[in-house]
Amino acid sequence: MATADHSGDPGMAAEAEGAPVQETEPDARYTFANERTFLAWTRTALAFILAGLGIVQLLPPFPGVPWGRHLLGVPLIAIGAAIAVVGYWQWEGNQKALRRGEPIRRSSLPRLLAAAIAALAIVTAVVLLLSAMH
Amino acid sequence: MPPPRGAEDFDPGLARERTRLAWTRTAIAFAAVGAAVLKTHLVAGLTVLGLAGIVWGLRQLFRDRAVSGSQRARLLGVTLTVVAVALVALVLSFVGHSR
Repeated sequence: MATADHSGDPGMAAEAEGAPVQETEPDARYTFANERTFLAWTRTALAFILAGLGIVQLLPPFPGVPWGRHLLGVPLIAIGAAIAVVGYWQWEGNQKALRRGEPIRRSSLPRLLAAAIAALAIVTAVVLLLSAMH
Repeated sequence: MPPPRGAEDFDPGLARERTRLAWTRTAIAFAAVGAAVLKTHLVAGLTVLGLAGIVWGLRQLFRDRAVSGSQRARLLGVTLTVVAVALVALVLSFVGHSR
């Protein structure tokens, strides 16, 4: 995709002089790929919301841990909303980078996703242990 | 690089189709959330299912407008819709009661 080579790039030279950065329409395939990435994160967000809703509404209460379902479900739903918003920001940033021929910035979403899943796994384990001890 | 008008020439034919399928999958995901909400709250569930229908419709729009400014508006709309659905889900988590 875009490379970090700015030598001889008229856009970068113009920016250094304070003039507006030159933007061109990127290859349609890149635009489509960026849109698909956004849609994939959107589905990930919807999956989190669905999981949270399912835990709160469909699971029977954990014995001895009456707040356990909300402790798991509410963060799942909130993380889902966060993933959707960050996914949009990244789509916008990527599209801008494509238009300017700048390198694509590294995505922060994989880290967010990994941290969220790890934290939820720990909370789930604690809730299950508390419930088992009851 | 040529203007948007020539964008179709760059498309090997599959990128467009793959993106259309991605929209379809997203619409199905919306419908799945709608079905889950339906179990708790009839009106909210039907609303989310209606949103799934709109996303399904967006699948067709990008045919002509993929590289125009409306793309941004559509994607922002989808994002805000997901946030709204999350808020509905949060409310239902506290006030909803399963049937």
